Amino acid sequence: MKPKIAIEHLYKIYNEGKESEFAALKDITLSVGADEIIILKGVSGSGKSTLLSLMAAFSKPSRGTILIDGENISKLPDIFASKFRNKEIGFIFQSFNLIEGLSVSENVRIPLVLEPLEKKEIDQKVEKALQLANIAHKSQQNIADLSGGEKQRCAIARALVNNPSIIFADEPTANLDKENSLKFIEVLEKFKTLKKCVVVATHDSLFDDLPFVSQYINITDGELVL
Amino acid sequence: MSIFLLDSIVVMFFVETVLLLLMGTSMFAVAKILKYWNFDASTTLQYALEKKNYLVNTIILFTIGVKIILFVFFVKSLDDLAPLVPGAMCATGVIGANKFGNTLLIYKIFTLFLLGVWVVINRLDLKTKKFDYLRKKYYLFIVIFALLGIEFALELLYFTNIPLNTPVFCCSVVFVVENLPFGLETVDLVKIFYLLFVSILVVDYFNKASLSFVLNILFLLLAYYCVTYFFGTYVYEEPNHKCPFCMLQKEYHYIGYLIWSTLFLGTYFGISPHIIYSLIGKKYQRLLRYNALFLTLFVAICSYYVISFYLRNGVFL
Ligand SMILES: Nc1ncnc2c1ncn2[C@@H]1O[C@H](COP(=O)(O)OP(=O)(O)O)[C@@H](O)[C@H]1O
Ligand SMILES: [Mg+2]
Repeated sequence: MKPKIAIEHLYKIYNEGKESEFAALKDITLSVGADEIIILKGVSGSGKSTLLSLMAAFSKPSRGTILIDGENISKLPDIFASKFRNKEIGFIFQSFNLIEGLSVSENVRIPLVLEPLEKKEIDQKVEKALQLANIAHKSQQNIADLSGGEKQRCAIARALVNNPSIIFADEPTANLDKENSLKFIEVLEKFKTLKKCVVVATHDSLFDDLPFVSQYINITDGELVL
Repeated sequence: MSIFLLDSIVVMFFVETVLLLLMGTSMFAVAKILKYWNFDASTTLQYALEKKNYLVNTIILFTIGVKIILFVFFVKSLDDLAPLVPGAMCATGVIGANKFGNTLLIYKIFTLFLLGVWVVINRLDLKTKKFDYLRKKYYLFIVIFALLGIEFALELLYFTNIPLNTPVFCCSVVFVVENLPFGLETVDLVKIFYLLFVSILVVDYFNKASLSFVLNILFLLLAYYCVTYFFGTYVYEEPNHKCPFCMLQKEYHYIGYLIWSTLFLGTYFGISPHIIYSLIGKKYQRLLRYNALFLTLFVAICSYYVISFYLRNGVFL
């Protein structure tokens, strides 16, 4: 079967040609199947966030290709990259990146504002995402009044609301206590039943030896360790 | 005359200067893009150029938007100058006050058409995943930039050479002799006008871009004469008042702006698909719909004046 994500000989060099040149990723080759969950492990500074941001077309590689469904997304013009990201990708950021001052459901609604949908349809999608992320009971609450775990569930709902085929999570448990971290792992298992393609970047040992994870990939100093 | 005679002209020159400076600075970026562009490369330089491309695009689109507004402003200024230029009753006298006026007006309309073509090519380029028309679009822009530089010079020459002591001719003199093409009579001209209009609608329906190109250029020319020598007299309700400009005035409810803009927009949409096809090899016949739409509006407005006059008076002029 064709992989969902196929990365070949990928390099990311920051400040190329300058004195501060730094190779954050070196010759990365990997592939992820459509309903696979993979864990990207590595210490802080090893290049995990850089790799995720390239896969989500937030930034461009210095060399190499990233094929998603066979399309080289790193060569997409910005306008197409944004559309692609909005349609295909849900991203859960380490610091959640929610908008304080808006309510939970307003935050979750944001990815849909540009879609040509009826209000009723939008409400349904938001409600469904809130349910999936176990945060429906707080939908009217302001972000500022949420606990860390609740914020994350809100971020998860926002990542799911467009029904993306791919979900990236960058250090999802770094700001959570153990109880909430375990809850996140439950959500991850739910992704598996939803047949999502998921890549989690983490250095949290709670993620070790999960039965539903198909690949553990170690990254050190920007290189994959096999 | 000096350009400081009228505030609006000073403002116009100021804005024109700013636009040229903006375009001039974008030229550096355009040159860099044309020199180093290599879509297949995954280099920092290429990605930087792609970002720059969006910036330059936005600047150029902005300048084009302002240019279009400035054209209306230019025509309005001609009208406002009339009381200051001895002998001029309307823009006819002002535009004919020296040898640059009419050239400038036609030149401006021509560059506006080109700018419109650029906007469409840019749109088509942004719709492709590989910037298919990027080079052609920027080569065209370099040409446009040069043309706009010439326009600026022409404009300076024109405004500084309007005589304030020798009287100019007004429209009752300039258009008194019916200087019609091919020695045709006005009636024949109007018949051909309607015939051509219907042919354009048919051609648009069948999406024939090159035929539409030819017919629209003919129509533009013919429409100029028909409005000036025939429809205008019904707007003024005066058989001897022949002028393309007076209708821009308040007395006639500024209807001239609507008449001329529907004509220019209509013909623009009629001729651009062929130009776009010859420049980038892409068929974009969809614009022909707007050709039909705006020309129908134009013809409807012109005909309205004639019919309304006939219904009220039972005779033609
Ligand atoms: N924009 C940047 N400019 C220069 N260096 C960067 C930039 N972003 C990240 N880096 C460097 O790249 C390396 C990898 O960073 P990152 O991908 O954030 O690692 P991780 O997410 O695994 O902690 C780090 O050494 C970091 O300092
Ligand atoms: Mg990180």
